[in-house]
Amino acid sequence: MRIPPQLRIRFILLAGLAALLLGFLFMWSGLYSVAASRGHWAVTEWLLTFAMRNSVKTHAIGIEVPPLGNADLVTLGAAHFHSGCAYCHGAPGVPISPIARAMLPPPPDLATNMRPWRDRELFWIIKHGIKYTGMPAWSVQQRDDEVWALAAFLRRLPGLDAAQYRELALGGLAVPPQSGQSLATSETTAPAVGACARCHGAGDARPASALVPILHGQPAEFIVASLEAYASAQRASGIMQPVARALAGDDFRRVADYYAALQPPAALERPTDASAIARGRALAENGDPAALVPACAGCHGQEALKTYPRLAGQNLAYLLNRLRLWKNGLAPATATETIMAPIARALSDRQIEDVGAYYASVDAHAGARR
Amino acid sequence: MSGTLQSVLAPHGPQAGQIATLAWVLFAFGAVILALVIATIWLAIRGTPHIREALARERTIMVFGLALPVVTLTILLFCGVWLTRAQTGHTDDAMRIEVTGEQWWWRVVYDGPTPATSANEIRIPVGQPVDFTLKAADVIHSFWVPSLGGKVDMLPGRITRLRLTAERAGVYRGQCAEYCGGPHALMGFNVIAMPRDEYEAWFVREAGPSAAASTDVERRGQSLFMAAGCGTCHAVRGTGAAGAIGPDLTHLAARGSVGIDTLPLTADNVARFIRDGQHLKPGNRMPEFRIFSPAEQTALVSYLMSLR
Repeated sequence: MRIPPQLRIRFILLAGLAALLLGFLFMWSGLYSVAASRGHWAVTEWLLTFAMRNSVKTHAIGIEVPPLGNADLVTLGAAHFHSGCAYCHGAPGVPISPIARAMLPPPPDLATNMRPWRDRELFWIIKHGIKYTGMPAWSVQQRDDEVWALAAFLRRLPGLDAAQYRELALGGLAVPPQSGQSLATSETTAPAVGACARCHGAGDARPASALVPILHGQPAEFIVASLEAYASAQRASGIMQPVARALAGDDFRRVADYYAALQPPAALERPTDASAIARGRALAENGDPAALVPACAGCHGQEALKTYPRLAGQNLAYLLNRLRLWKNGLAPATATETIMAPIARALSDRQIEDVGAYYASVDAHAGARR
Repeated sequence: MSGTLQSVLAPHGPQAGQIATLAWVLFAFGAVILALVIATIWLAIRGTPHIREALARERTIMVFGLALPVVTLTILLFCGVWLTRAQTGHTDDAMRIEVTGEQWWWRVVYDGPTPATSANEIRIPVGQPVDFTLKAADVIHSFWVPSLGGKVDMLPGRITRLRLTAERAGVYRGQCAEYCGGPHALMGFNVIAMPRDEYEAWFVREAGPSAAASTDVERRGQSLFMAAGCGTCHAVRGTGAAGAIGPDLTHLAARGSVGIDTLPLTADNVARFIRDGQHLKPGNRMPEFRIFSPAEQTALVSYLMSLR
């Protein structure tokens, strides 16, 4: 039987509408189960995984990978992995939480069971997260440098045993065993997830990673202002925001007072390029008026406001990273970043290296006496 | 002193007068030419065949269409070149002021045994020819005080000159007359012509340091000024603040405006410019300082308003 073309089109349209309506009715009825407990059919699972893998691969094309072998990067990534990722993904000596294991899909144990992703694909997943899986995006999208730290750590993760992992993630921090009573009645958790010292060091210990700033001897006002800026999500850091958020009440002031009273730790190794240090010193003391760069010492010397950080003896890698973040466009959000960001943008790449070398080379003890 | 003047057609000095005269001659001559052209068009349409034939002759075109414009424009060119030379040279007996155009303010240095630095306001004695040495720190700016004289570009890497004389006391407004980036429109300044004795008295004060902070609040403000790093960009002579990046603030409170001629000088406006400078003058080179508590801000502003 021949159907006239007009009727055929009408039939197709009607059929389509009916299918939509049926689909809607099916959802409306609630017959479909969204239970995580039931899992997917094998075919659905295959399809979803297939789509996810290809999506990651396609979207990661064109991402440039920085060198990831750097120990500072790995250590910083390890510390954040421990507080942000291990709950769901486990780690050597840290089993996946049974609660996380009951998610759909269950999060993979990355220590034993990571897909052979490329570096850039790992970066993309950490930065953007994966829809419908519970994998969150990096909470601060401007901080690619932090995402790379985590990617660098994931490259190291499969080869680690429990002791090595603890050393990396806890920065050698010894957590004293708690008494039964303390365990039973306090909220403190044994892994010391929130401890500042894991990354920033404490006592006479330096930060485990040179990408992390030395807080010893910084003005308490500066530390409090920074913690407040992180906790209110003003200052951009996917690593610091959750940590600062976990502190409460007078914690900021107490922890700031603690670090402010510490003596600066002894330097591990100081920059040695004498000419770079001399150029950096000239810049720090006199600025570069032609390039509209004021003298650093005007705001970072000992006499400056206590809401400004002191730079003498600071970690070189941290100084460079911070200045480059602003130079490469990190939007200033806090009141002090608003002052500093345009200055950092006015610095040349060479000047950033020079001034970093200078401040890292200054003896913080001598600086404190000045 | 009456209101602020900014008009080519209201000259208040010999240089501006010459330019205005030339301009009026130019307008008059232009009006004659225009009348001539209209008459010719009318004749070309309505004239007798004899006149129309005369108009279409090659000789007419050569005389009125070629020779006349060449001659008149050449005369004009010579007048203009002569005027420019007369007004942009320097003489030895004139007073000298160096003005540097920067994004987006004017650095003013009064020549003398001890050069005095100021910003965004130029004071001159009445009747005294003043030779301006004009420079640019970053991009091309243009220095123009319409009521006193011509417009001269300030070019990076070059020095240009201009002589101005004010015949009467008054406030003459100047503008940057070459687009120089974002807040170009907010790059104005005042030239204040004063009787010579007043000028001498003013200059003695201007060349000296600012009075030391006298009250407790002012002293608190001064130590904040130093601790917050203001002195790294701004100079206050007589104190440790010796920054050369931004305008000299030694006698800020004796000037009429804040934010490089953006707002009239009041304590409130100084506070606003420190806190909200990027809203008041978007793109200006001073970062906003929102770090001060209200009490600190009051102290800082009291100090700044004491810099007379």
